Amino acid sequence: MQASCAQPRMGVYVCHCGLNIAGVVDVEAVRDSARALEGVVVARDNKYTCSEVGQKTIADDIRDLGLDRVVIASCSPRLHEKTFRGVLEKCGMNPFLLEMANIREQCSWVHSGDSAAATEKAKALVRSAVARARLLSPLSRSEGRVVPKVMVVGGGVAGISAALYLGNMGIKTYLVEREPSIGGHMAMLDKTFPTLDCSLCILSPKMVEVAENENIQVLSYSEVEKVEGQVGDFRVQVRRRARYVDEAKCVGCGDCAAKCPVRVPDEFNRNMGERKAIYIPFPQAIPPAYAIDAEHCRYLTQGKCRVCEKVCERGAVVFDQTDRVETVEVGAIVVATGFRPYDASKKPQYGYGRYPNVITSLDFERIICADGPTHGKLKRPGDQATPGRIAFIQCVGSRDEHGHDGAGAYCSRVCCMITAKQAFMVKEKHPDSEVYVYYTDMRTAGKGFEEFYQRGRGEGIVFVRGKPGEVREEEGGSLRITSEDADSGCILDLSFDMVVLAVGLTPPEGLVDLAQRLNLSRSADGFLMEGHPKLRPFETSIDGIYLAGCVQFPKDIPDSVAQAGGAAAVAAATCSRQKIEMDPLGPVIDEDLCIGCRLCEMLCPYGAIKVEKTDRGYKARSIEVACKGCGVCGASCSARAITMKHYSNDQIVAQTRALLEVS
Amino acid sequence: MESNACAEKDRVVVTVLDPKFKYEIAKEPGGENIKYCFQCGTCTSGCPVAELDSKYNPRRIIRMAILGMRERVLSGDFIWLCSTCYTCYERCPQDVRITEVMNALKNMAVRAGYIHPAFRAQAELIAGHGRLYEVDEFTNEKRAEVGLPALPSSAPEVAEIYGVTGLDSLLSGKGA
Repeated sequence: MQASCAQPRMGVYVCHCGLNIAGVVDVEAVRDSARALEGVVVARDNKYTCSEVGQKTIADDIRDLGLDRVVIASCSPRLHEKTFRGVLEKCGMNPFLLEMANIREQCSWVHSGDSAAATEKAKALVRSAVARARLLSPLSRSEGRVVPKVMVVGGGVAGISAALYLGNMGIKTYLVEREPSIGGHMAMLDKTFPTLDCSLCILSPKMVEVAENENIQVLSYSEVEKVEGQVGDFRVQVRRRARYVDEAKCVGCGDCAAKCPVRVPDEFNRNMGERKAIYIPFPQAIPPAYAIDAEHCRYLTQGKCRVCEKVCERGAVVFDQTDRVETVEVGAIVVATGFRPYDASKKPQYGYGRYPNVITSLDFERIICADGPTHGKLKRPGDQATPGRIAFIQCVGSRDEHGHDGAGAYCSRVCCMITAKQAFMVKEKHPDSEVYVYYTDMRTAGKGFEEFYQRGRGEGIVFVRGKPGEVREEEGGSLRITSEDADSGCILDLSFDMVVLAVGLTPPEGLVDLAQRLNLSRSADGFLMEGHPKLRPFETSIDGIYLAGCVQFPKDIPDSVAQAGGAAAVAAATCSRQKIEMDPLGPVIDEDLCIGCRLCEMLCPYGAIKVEKTDRGYKARSIEVACKGCGVCGASCSARAITMKHYSNDQIVAQTRALLEVS
Repeated sequence: MESNACAEKDRVVVTVLDPKFKYEIAKEPGGENIKYCFQCGTCTSGCPVAELDSKYNPRRIIRMAILGMRERVLSGDFIWLCSTCYTCYERCPQDVRITEVMNALKNMAVRAGYIHPAFRAQAELIAGHGRLYEVDEFTNEKRAEVGLPALPSSAPEVAEIYGVTGLDSLLSGKGA
């Protein structure tokens, strides 16, 4: 086997993939056309090339026929490139002398209506792969270190759970949270469905556990700014926003807030009620330390006050704190940044933001919560009257193709049960109240969910199949809803005291930026894309970065916790490796040709190229560990000084030429 | 409370519903499970009466009852059309016991002064004759021929039972 001989000896294997490929593409014809190509020593078709038999056929040919290049026409390399590279390695070949032609995802599956054309395309793809394979060179992998630490981004129930699973495995974990306290949306809920457990009663023990776990370090009031490196060896820059309170000294006594003269709408209570400029979001906050809201603090905005500093007996108020950026090294990252409730004011027909007695489901949680603005008394915001007739409107911002107003085409999964719970709680507190739920479909798939829905009907909650067109305000603040009742065929035109909009779950604020910083893909719905919709639900397209909770897709608390456990397990598996082998896919820079123009440096999305001063002038240098092999530098180099390993210009040109040849 | 329903051709607009109606039905023997109905329609799909008259739709009757359309449900013909075959009762996945619900609704309708003319006629026949048909001389002659005793053509005891049970005042429209 000589990879360097003048005429390579190539083997081509065309896969049927059962009927996935063979049902559309004439596999035998593709095989025969490959056989006729220059340098192809053997061409075969297999029912399943990835099977043991298929692999053995390749191994036998490598040995018996002295192959030095292997071309496989089958599925996407994302699925089996690793398998086939393994076959080459076992036979003593360099694994990078393999080329794959994707004749399934990019051919048979998308051209199922036209067999003849699909067959021609498959032939062209194989021809093109053979042309490239001819020019492949052997490469060697480099090894990277593994930092046995994990960063969890987002301190809601998913992030908290992931951090606890990891911490309890003995893995050093950083839990990064944007807000002054961990807890996320779950901390804002009054009760949880279908058990009606008090939400904070079950969450706060977990939060305390986080605080006490010696392996977990909470980085609250902090955001991920930049991520470099790769699986096993990430360097994450975290902006630690100035809290102006020393977390270690603050005991949460509240003397500061009592004296603070600035009142601000309380976002934890959905702006119903007020907090001070120095505040703690809720009593069970972790870390249990106050924070100063710099935007509203009188001293920080107007230069005088410092009352909090004077009253703090422990000297915990530190006005000279500034934002600082810390670099944290970790081997894996779990992204758990949750969701954002749909902005109901984007649906003007329902009047949210205009009619005071139209609220969202999250507003309702705060109103019904003992710790909320009404101390758990059900009162409508408009006039603090107790509403006797309440309507819930489902699917506000869900199952909605508009998109331009931020609505999602998907079902948000949790709103039916949230409404069932809230309607039940209304009935529990006020059995004589009348509760109507306007729904599109009631979706109650989950353990104990259907039973809960049934219980709600038994309580006399009226479920109306029909989405109201609009909510109109009447004199006295009541609200009129006209809807079809699809089940009776009647039009219902009814008046209510309060309307609750069951808002959908949308991707969290700043996810576009975060995805860019982490180089993660998002799916059409805007959430982060998992590694595989069925088989890799915790992973992403980037090795070493994993997902937990609603940032991947709307889900309820048990599902978020389950995914957090899975993400923790895969992150721990990564951290338990001794070293990580990295594919050699970066640029090779010919310093004789490099003119130091800095174009590559500017374009590199990963900061993996730096132009340095040398004794021969400015020259680009590749930073191998940061490089992801995207090829932007190679494509942009005006001096043609950059060659991408495994994707050299001559390889790509040959591949393209072969593709365009008329067969 | 009257359900202020106005029919505009096929468009029925309802502005007032009686939310207590469903609870009243649930307190009536047989009506206990009505609120669990989730409108699957298996009752209507297997109903032999609905097969003969598509206007009869037990699912819709239950829907209107849950919504609180008291007058429309109690004053209409439909609740009287149930043949009490119990097919829906057996099949209902939520155990709404539709046949029994129909009986409960009939009882409520009668108390509210709504009795279907066919049932009123039957009740009157029984009051007069003790059975659903009048025994005439011809019948008794035939019975005598085969050695059977003559039957009375009137049954004053029945009227007494009507009085004791209150059925007479229901029939006279005085309500229960």
